Amino acid sequence: MIDFEVFVQQVITGLSNGMIIALIAIGYTMVYGIIELINFAHGDVFMLGAFFALTLLGALGMEAWGPGGQTIGVIAMLIGSALFCGSLNWTLDRLAYRPLRGSSKLSLLVSAIGCSFICMNLGLFWGGVPMEVFAGGVASAAPKDFPAIIPQTNLLGGAFIRITPAEVLVFAVTIPLMVALTLMVKRTRLGCAMRAVAQDQTAAALMGIPVDRVIGATFFIGGALGGFASVIYALYNNTIGFQMGTRAGLDAFTAAVLGGIGSLPGAVLGGLTIGLVRSMSDQYLETRWTNTIVFCILVLILIFRPSGLLGSTRKEKV
Amino acid sequence: MVRRIGPITIILAIAAVIPLLDLVLPAELALSEAVRSVFIYAILALGLNVVTGYAGLLNLGIAAFMAVGAYTFGILTCEIYPFQFGFWGGLALTVPIGALAGFILGAPTLGLRGDYLAIVTLGFGEIVQDVLKNLDSITKGMQGINPLPSPALGGAPWTADDERKWYYLLFALLVIVVIAVRNLERSRLGRAWFSIREDEIASRSMGIRVERAKLVAFATGAALAAFAGALSASVLSSTGEPNNYDFQISILALCIIIVGGIGGVAGVLVGSLVMVGLNSIVLAKATAWMAAHDIGGQGNVLLSPNNWKFLIFGLALVIAVRVKPAGLLPPRLDRSGS
Amino acid sequence: MSISRSILVSLALLPLAAPAWGQAADAPKGTLKIVSSLPRTGSANAQTSTIVNGIKLAIDEVGGTVDGWTITYQDMDDASPQRGNWDPAVEAQNANTAARDESIVAYIGTFNSGAAKVAIPILNRAGLVMVSPANTYPGLTKPGLGEANEPMAYRKSGTINYFRVVPTDDLQGVQAANWAKDLAVTKVFILHDRELYGKGIADVFKKQAEKQGIEVVGFEGIDSKAANYRSLVTKLKATQPDLVYFGGTTQSNAGQVAKDLRSGGFEGKYMVPDGCFEQAFIESAGAENLNDRTYITFGGLPPEKLTGKGAEFCSSYKTKYSADPEAYAAYGYECARVILQAIAKAETKDRASILAAVAGTRDFDGVLGRWSFDANGDTSSQVMSGQIVHDGKFEFSKVLGN
Repeated sequence: MIDFEVFVQQVITGLSNGMIIALIAIGYTMVYGIIELINFAHGDVFMLGAFFALTLLGALGMEAWGPGGQTIGVIAMLIGSALFCGSLNWTLDRLAYRPLRGSSKLSLLVSAIGCSFICMNLGLFWGGVPMEVFAGGVASAAPKDFPAIIPQTNLLGGAFIRITPAEVLVFAVTIPLMVALTLMVKRTRLGCAMRAVAQDQTAAALMGIPVDRVIGATFFIGGALGGFASVIYALYNNTIGFQMGTRAGLDAFTAAVLGGIGSLPGAVLGGLTIGLVRSMSDQYLETRWTNTIVFCILVLILIFRPSGLLGSTRKEKV
Repeated sequence: MVRRIGPITIILAIAAVIPLLDLVLPAELALSEAVRSVFIYAILALGLNVVTGYAGLLNLGIAAFMAVGAYTFGILTCEIYPFQFGFWGGLALTVPIGALAGFILGAPTLGLRGDYLAIVTLGFGEIVQDVLKNLDSITKGMQGINPLPSPALGGAPWTADDERKWYYLLFALLVIVVIAVRNLERSRLGRAWFSIREDEIASRSMGIRVERAKLVAFATGAALAAFAGALSASVLSSTGEPNNYDFQISILALCIIIVGGIGGVAGVLVGSLVMVGLNSIVLAKATAWMAAHDIGGQGNVLLSPNNWKFLIFGLALVIAVRVKPAGLLPPRLDRSGS
Repeated sequence: MSISRSILVSLALLPLAAPAWGQAADAPKGTLKIVSSLPRTGSANAQTSTIVNGIKLAIDEVGGTVDGWTITYQDMDDASPQRGNWDPAVEAQNANTAARDESIVAYIGTFNSGAAKVAIPILNRAGLVMVSPANTYPGLTKPGLGEANEPMAYRKSGTINYFRVVPTDDLQGVQAANWAKDLAVTKVFILHDRELYGKGIADVFKKQAEKQGIEVVGFEGIDSKAANYRSLVTKLKATQPDLVYFGGTTQSNAGQVAKDLRSGGFEGKYMVPDGCFEQAFIESAGAENLNDRTYITFGGLPPEKLTGKGAEFCSSYKTKYSADPEAYAAYGYECARVILQAIAKAETKDRASILAAVAGTRDFDGVLGRWSFDANGDTSSQVMSGQIVHDGKFEFSKVLGN
């Protein structure tokens, strides 16, 4: 019996972690889909979103609010971080990527790597802000505790299997977001314009689509998703640090590629796959081999499906 | 054939006289040691340049091959293992083993395109680190392997004190690598790489064996990276720990070739100097100077100059590609005809 | 020394040197330089800052002069931004710089044992004394505990130049396991961060726990960059241990492990080594996740238990930095004081006699107790203490060993 419970628990954990990875991966995949840039700075924008949320939490003193107030607080953090990360990502595009539109993909990539380092350093500074939530800012590089205003208690009482409100939150926020995003890309004018720009920038421009603005909007939306993800991540894991963007970004990038880069459902599927593989490997193999297992599975999948699980098989543009 | 004095010759000539400059300059301005590590990164970056610059295959895991080289060299030469081939033997064996590692990674993944290949190489980098850490009965895990031999030219083995000897040995090896890579560039194979980079389908219809050419590019890049790894381990007399060959090193190598000018040897040399020298020369000297003059402090996160290094490094990258999107010293375009 | 350099140095030293003239009536005899090489860029910065604070405090206490000689200090960074962590090439460069500069008489460092492996041989050739505030890998000093060629590989000159004021993993791991036995632990699940320090101490803990008859129900290396460890907690919970031991540091995510243990429903105890003995650990883990269930070992006595020199250190540290001194601050301070005392004792102020004086340190009255350097260069201090976390603070629990 306990074996089965352990398995169920691992599925729950894997899916929760996978959902967060997926949400970050969507930000990657949207940007990639439209300008073929592996946006290395995305993970660090996500990291700054978490610092923004913690600042908001500290400045408004949310820890002292009642449960009802804290729900509003969570919504405020979600919206605040989304706007913050969206604007930041848009600004990075404006300052560091747009001037390079005509250049090679690789110089764009290096610009993104540079932005990633800059954002990381901003996170280091941010951790030194003398606020109580940053432990007075004394040890700016140390990991920061993110108060568990969404409790981590078991909704199932004393059972072995645990489902916590924080886990419920992960699903309650990410699934509607993904649905909304898919609808936006499929149904709205902006979504249509985004798909057009992704297909062929020149043709889109000739049809009167303001290409730069559409790309800017994509960066904003991708960043905003990173912002949502950062709040969910922070409330689920309760620790943030200035270097967390690197790993989160790597996982999300892997998920995006695994699912088929450029594909929204692919990013979600990729994220969930990675989350589940991690859980299962932690449980049934050894934790120290988990990363190796994830990447071996990635290689295997790509050997048999060279464009990822749900990627389109169109030839690369020559 | 009349040969102009090209940028490569000029760069190498300047590098050749740096230790002599150190004799007359004050100790604070001594450069040769920092430049020495630039040479090692230059060899690594030249390897990556073969894969990514010539053949157009984005490789985000070049550091893994550097690790393979360092650990191969360590296991083949360290006194705690039975092999003990010595410096030259170890170095000579590292190169084919590195090439083999490149072949092993390249063979199953050649069908992948662009960024799918990039993530596989990235994953390979992570796997190699995990394997080196976890198989600690062979690799000594996080301990690293030490001490490692240095070349024993002219009597006793060298030590790090023989800085000038080390400098000129690394310099000579770099020159050999540069000449080899330049020759590759002009060979039939080199032209095949450029052709694949520009248009794979057209190359195939012209009768180029695309898979084979790609595989050779992979193996060559890996061999050079392994060579760099072995040299770096020998200079340090330790392989360091597996973490020393992580994703950040791959990223650094990529930045070197793109900031310098992808696809050309001169650009890679300049890129190495700028990207590696920025930390080990400019930032190191600047922070030492600031500390000596009591500038900056510890009370506030903003006051310590060390806390600005990521920002400076990142800004340098962004500004470099903004000002010179094709690199500081891009290759002349007449060759590939694009 | 070039002219420009001596001008620069003397300009920099003017404010420090002034009080010395007042006291000693005669001009300073010269300048002796102490350097430290620690990872100052990246995540270890939090710990290394307190080490540097400790060193500066020790130098300030003697007014920046010893025996009429002016002491200057330089804080070198052995990390690089592109690595975000210690970088072997930078460490080698620091060590070579120090070896070349004759005015440097002592080298404090390194933080990572891996970096020490690069630096010790270089400094050994230069005959420069090196004192580490943080390396705990036994093989650096103790024959038989590391590889077959250790530690002789670091002592090619025949002289021992490397010393450390911290107890090595083999001591702390044993004491931790003994303490676990005292706490009536019968089943332990051991985690480590796959770093040299964390894995080393976890290995020793495992061996000693087995010797003590504690059942080791699991031994896993975690990924210190992972977002959480919930899967692992589920796995370990199913083995029903009473104690989880984590060989690792605040940097390698000890706080996250604590959180996931609690949110994963693990009710037992949690024990960590001195890499977590800092306020940042409690702050990053959240006090509610640690209170009354967390046990920390430390190679010395905690600040409030110190008497004499130690108590003095605590109050002056507090005055100067308005924070309580932490484990690494004490280690850094101890390193600097050992060196300053050796400089005072040395007949001639050159590297060889200062090295000999450091090696001859006996019955040193330090903040970590009264101790000597043994023949390997290790501290003779066996005093270890156990702390618990209570009400968001470290609280001394007991003296371990003896």
